[in-house]
Amino acid sequence: MYEKAKDAVDACMRKGMSRRELGRRLGALGLTAASANVLWGTASTRALAADFDWMKHKGKTVTLLLNKHPYTDAMIADIQAFKDLTGMEVKYDVFPEDVYFDKVTAALSSRSSQYDAFMTGAYQTWQYGPAGWLVDTNEFLQDESMTAPGFNWDDVLPNLRQSTAWSGVPGEALGGEGAKQWALPWGFELNSIAYNKKMLDGAGGEPPKDMDGLMELAAKMQKDVQGVYGIGVRGSRSWATIHPGFLSAYTNFDQRDFTMEDGKLKAAMATPESKAFHQQWVKMIQDSGPKNWSTYTWYQVGTDLGAGASAMIYDADILGYFMNGGDNKEAGNLAYTAFAPNPKAKGPTPNVWIWSLAMNSFGEQQDAAWYFMQWACGAEHALFGATKMDFVNPVRQSVWDDETFQKKISDNYPGYLDQYKASAPGSKIYFTPQPLFFNLTTEWAASLQKMVAKEVPVDEGLDQLAASVDNQLKQAGLG
Amino acid sequence: MHPAIRVVLLTLIGLFFLFPIVWVFLMSFQTNETILRIPPSLVFEPTLQNYTALISGRLETGAGVLELAFMQNLWNSFVLSFCSVALSLLLGVPAAYAFARFKFFGSEDIAFTLLSFRFAPALLVLLPLNLYFQDIGLNDTYIGLIWVYQLITLPLILWIVRGYFEDISPDIENAYRVDGHSWFSTFMKISIPLALPGIAAAALLSFIFAWNNFVFALILASADKQPVTVGALAFVTASGIQYGQIAAAVVLSILPTLALALYAQRYLVEGLSLGAVKG
Repeated sequence: MYEKAKDAVDACMRKGMSRRELGRRLGALGLTAASANVLWGTASTRALAADFDWMKHKGKTVTLLLNKHPYTDAMIADIQAFKDLTGMEVKYDVFPEDVYFDKVTAALSSRSSQYDAFMTGAYQTWQYGPAGWLVDTNEFLQDESMTAPGFNWDDVLPNLRQSTAWSGVPGEALGGEGAKQWALPWGFELNSIAYNKKMLDGAGGEPPKDMDGLMELAAKMQKDVQGVYGIGVRGSRSWATIHPGFLSAYTNFDQRDFTMEDGKLKAAMATPESKAFHQQWVKMIQDSGPKNWSTYTWYQVGTDLGAGASAMIYDADILGYFMNGGDNKEAGNLAYTAFAPNPKAKGPTPNVWIWSLAMNSFGEQQDAAWYFMQWACGAEHALFGATKMDFVNPVRQSVWDDETFQKKISDNYPGYLDQYKASAPGSKIYFTPQPLFFNLTTEWAASLQKMVAKEVPVDEGLDQLAASVDNQLKQAGLG
Repeated sequence: MHPAIRVVLLTLIGLFFLFPIVWVFLMSFQTNETILRIPPSLVFEPTLQNYTALISGRLETGAGVLELAFMQNLWNSFVLSFCSVALSLLLGVPAAYAFARFKFFGSEDIAFTLLSFRFAPALLVLLPLNLYFQDIGLNDTYIGLIWVYQLITLPLILWIVRGYFEDISPDIENAYRVDGHSWFSTFMKISIPLALPGIAAAALLSFIFAWNNFVFALILASADKQPVTVGALAFVTASGIQYGQIAAAVVLSILPTLALALYAQRYLVEGLSLGAVKG
């Protein structure tokens, strides 16, 4: 029976059988899900090992620095497959997200060789890459002797590949000519609307179609449903307030953070269109946002949706995904919709956050680290994580096309696939890459706080912000 | 004031100050769902699952199994704080005595330099230290961390105990020495016993400061050597916040310092007040 099961899994691996068909066949052979997982893992290992010398670094140990995250959990759950494939050992340090980037920055800035590879966001590579702390992975990607033929780099969504590559020249487009691939995309989130379907249905509300509709719906839900506020968005004094729903909507109105004039950056937040958008955003928070909006981060926005304290959020799609499961009170009641705030826009323009894997340039075994990175960012592991764990959103098209993954998502997360399909074409990083990203974007958030608190009128606040940003750019030689 | 009014006022003040701790204590016996009820309620069915999860290291949630290293974090905090304070006492008490009793060239400068360790922003010190520690192999070791923790504990012990030694009349020590005892014997048998309340108070305070430290181990050590202050953050994940476990972790991490503080309370008050004013 074992041979029959093994043949079935191998056939699936050769793409001769769908995973659903595989599940049926293994079930007919009396195999439990756990046994099927083991078979799947060993078959994956055999398939991967067929055309590449994965054992080249056998006996070596790579050390990773990781953030406590569902992606990390998925990777650890599958790590035995990598060990079997390569004969390598993997050690990892997992730190809470709140302190994770402090740890990364400290390790890199002190030129530590302790970690060979680590998790990072794309924005952080704008600091780490030009500082010489990261290896440009192009040198591995373009080396056929170092990269397995099945790695299929083109399978990674093109916008994400571009968003993690930058030349290091302030203001130059991500993924442009001469861009260095500072990190490999691993998992990502785009920004759309997640809403409490039960609540909306009860109040006779429909998912919003544009910014006016969003503001109206948020106000209606706040008025009609006792003890609930209309919309959750982030508001803390941090760059992280700007990058999710806010920048996605801002971009949808054709607005940018900076313009380039004669090779110099100039703040672009004080245009009439930008002011009009800011007026709407500020009013939405004042009318229908959380009471303590200025303290709201990812955690508060998500927790409120999961606990039924908010009717909807305009934030990362995976935040809505996580809140629809686990111990959350509203688990099973959430739904998702793509969102284009500007009625004249062709489609949604979600800004994205990309958890990526990067290589420490001070690491002493970069070849071995690359073997780990290409496995972790490979299609097999991505499929394992997406179907067996909560490794969403996958960065590979082949995983989105996988029937098992599609079924898992469509069965449990209503509208998620549709919102993804509608959002994906316009999803990428819309910030202009430049080294003052964290400071200037945090100042933008601080400015937004003042506007919401009515400490300064929106128009005046944006003029002040633009003047301050221009001044800082000049001082840094960028403006 | 009427005794009844006094009791009411004291109760109100006590409630005001203790409310956050009481609320956290109550949260530690609730599930996430009951904690996040709208509106919050004091009535709930208590559960020990948060404590069980922390102690067993495994938390079963609807989203899967979460591996917890909290007990290891607690142990790390204890080892680091205890050893750091012990080392600081060994070095700091004789040094405090020397600064209090003897006037030698540069004594005030040295004492002030030691105090100035408390002024420097931690990260400014830690980044270069990280480089040196890698070169000499102290990175990611308990010994290295205990050494760095001296930046917290040593100045505190030295300056508090110094004040206390200065408060003890040298005549008592001189009388003992006239009987033919050595300087060391005088120090051990007269000075230290007289200064014991001050030493206990300084040790307790530095233990609390060391226990609450966050950034030293974060920068200089790997995940298996992190204290509770870092470990407690592991319950805040992208897929949700485990409020119940955070509350239970807070309660467990308060217990050692609370027990120490209650035990040494009288020393703390007496030691601090006696060392503060010179006669």
